[in-house]
Order: sequence, then C-alpha cells, then structure tokens
Amino acid sequence: MSGTDYREDYDGRASAYEAGDRLNDRLALRETRSSRAPAAIVAAVLVSLICLYILLEAALKAIGQPAWLLEPRDFAAWLNQLPENVPTLILGTSGVLILFAGLFFFLQGVLPGHLHRHVLPSRRGIAVVDDEVLASSLALRARTRANVTEEQVLVTVSRTLVEVQLRPTSGIPVEESAIQSAVEDELQRSYIDPMPEVRVRVSTSGVVGQ
Amino acid sequence: MNETPRVLNRVLLTLIGLLLIGVGATTVALAAVPALAGSWHALTRGAGAGIESVLDATTLPGQRDSWLWIVLALVMLVLIVLMIAWVAQQGKGRVGTLAADYNDDGGPGAVELGSAVAEQALKAALLEREEILHATITTYVFRGTPGLRIRVLPRKGVPPYLVAEQVSDLVEALDLVIGRETPVVISIGTSARARLGRPERVH
Repeated sequence: MSGTDYREDYDGRASAYEAGDRLNDRLALRETRSSRAPAAIVAAVLVSLICLYILLEAALKAIGQPAWLLEPRDFAAWLNQLPENVPTLILGTSGVLILFAGLFFFLQGVLPGHLHRHVLPSRRGIAVVDDEVLASSLALRARTRANVTEEQVLVTVSRTLVEVQLRPTSGIPVEESAIQSAVEDELQRSYIDPMPEVRVRVSTSGVVGQ
Repeated sequence: MNETPRVLNRVLLTLIGLLLIGVGATTVALAAVPALAGSWHALTRGAGAGIESVLDATTLPGQRDSWLWIVLALVMLVLIVLMIAWVAQQGKGRVGTLAADYNDDGGPGAVELGSAVAEQALKAALLEREEILHATITTYVFRGTPGLRIRVLPRKGVPPYLVAEQVSDLVEALDLVIGRETPVVISIGTSARARLGRPERVH
C-alpha cells in the first residue's frame, strides 16, 4: 500500500466519523429542545377555520348567492367606521386578546424552548436524561451521605444549577461541605457538560423523631 | 428524533404571531387613541376604493360579480390543504423497517430487517433488569436513515449514567447481531410509577 492510499483511507474514515458526530450533535439539539408541534397544530387549525369561512363566503359570492353571515361590502364598511361603531371597552379588550394570542405564537417561534433535560456522554449514539431523574439520583446520594430519610431532602435541577435543600434530624448535625462534595462527585461521574453549580442549604431547624 | 419540520414550525409560528400582533396592536391603538380615527377612516376608504375599482375591472360583462371571488375561494382552498399538510408533518417518521440491504449479490430478493427485531430484543433485555421499570423502543427515520429511540424509565434514585451505560452495552450487542450501526437516542425519563414506587435499594 502506498502512502497516498493510506492517507485517502484515513481521510475517508475521519470524514465518516465527523458525519456521525454531526448527526449526533443535531440529534442532541433536537432532543433537548421543544419541537413546537402543539403550537403548530393550534395555529394550523386556527388558520384553517378562518380560511374555511372566507372560502364559504367567497364561493357564495362567486355563484351569486346571498352571503351566509356577513356581506363582504358590509364588513368592509364596518371596518372603515371602526372606532365609533363598537364600544371602546369591547374594542380594546378584543385587541388585547388578539395581541396576546399573537405574542404567544411569536414567542413560541422565537424562544429556544429548552426542555428540562441534560445530555450525557454515551459510547453509542446520544443519551439524554430528564432533570427529574438526575435530581432523584442526586437526592439519593445526598441522603445516604447525610443519613436522613427521603422526605428530608429536596433537590431541584435546572440547566446550570443544582439546589439541594436538606433538613437534618434533630440532634444529629449534618456537614454542609460533605453533602456538597458527595453531590458534586455524583455529578462528575455523570460527565454532564457544562457541569452545573451545586448549592447546598442545610436548614437550621431539624426534624424530630426520624 | 423524528421528522417534525422544526424550522418550518418556528418560521410559520413567528409569521402568524407577527400577523396577529399587527392586528391586535392596530385594534388597541384605535380603541385607545381617538385621534387616530380620522386617519384610519381615510386609509381604509382609500383601500376600499382601490379594491372596488379592481373588482369592477375584473367583472366580466353580463356578470354580477368579479371572477376574483373564484380566485379567492381557490386560494383559500389551497391554504387549507397546506395547513392540513403542515399538521400531518408533526411527529412523522415512524417506520417498520430498521435496515434494508438491496445490494445486488446475484441472488433474487432482498434482505429487510423489521424494526420489531430490535425493539423486542432490547425491550426484553431491559425489562429483565430490576432498576428499570419500563422501556419503550421505537424506530424513527431521521435524515433518511432509520434510528432507534429508546425511552427508559428507571426506578427512583438510579444514577442515570449507569442506565445510559447499560443501554449502550445492549445496543452494542444489538449492533453485532444486526451487523450495522444505526443512530441511537437513549432518553431516560420518569413516570408516575417511578415517583410513587419504592426507591432502589443500595446494594
């Protein structure tokens, strides 16, 4: 095998690997963000209903029949006379409602829509974990370290922050730094990137009789 | 991992949102600022006259109304069909074939692997494990290649990296059986059963 053959082979493999990597990156992005399917379906139904009504009136007009609900010319005249022929309160309220509906769809389209999930490194394909699962594993680790029951630990996981709230059993002190290092160790084992900040709060009042 | 047209969803939602914001803002402005009424009347009168003249110009002799109404009806029909097509695209991409080999080796026929092969093998292997309550495996097409989506619901407190590792092991074993590597998404989640059930004991 000559040198050039070897290089071609190597390049081929490298690009195939990169293509797989890119696919996995795209998959990870899709798995951690909302697809906006529900909002899309609502918008499509809304637009279809409006179109259906206009279709009906236009078809009636085209075949020379009287209009069903609104004569297009009457509607245009009503639009022209707008601020005076409707009470200000009703006009303003309906305007605000339409504005909010528009804002909802606009924000659905523009906001990133992160799901409450983290990406874990995995040998094959990609792995995503719901924050709730991560939180329950961290809570288990924290409570075995502090030697308390399930009800005394509350862990919330967000994209960049892990918050641990712990109520110790009365008379048995709990070291905050020990809990902190236990939770951080558990997070490090998961290789979550970027590693979220860990904040531990041990409450001053204890729980009696656990 | 499916063929939901995410970019299209966002573009159309943004457009519809902007349209509604425009209509709503105009309505609010008309209600809130009485001084705008005069210019609104003038603007709509001008637009109305323009539409009226177009309608007159497109009315065929002997007809009562313009043929533009027929065009409008057809445009609305097309829009409705497009909206139905848009809804039909959501969550699309589930397939029944995991891998197919149509390479001509001289013999008649082709080899196709149904997705149930991988789905049932993985499910049976996953449900044997004590720490996994439930597993759903589905096959979706993404960018033209079929891939497996593995949804695992572990018991409360199980470290997710261990679950991911175990599923990866199973998928690698499956790769050997099938003979090719399909894209895989492992999704680890929770359910009411996991929340209420007893937590995993420390071994």
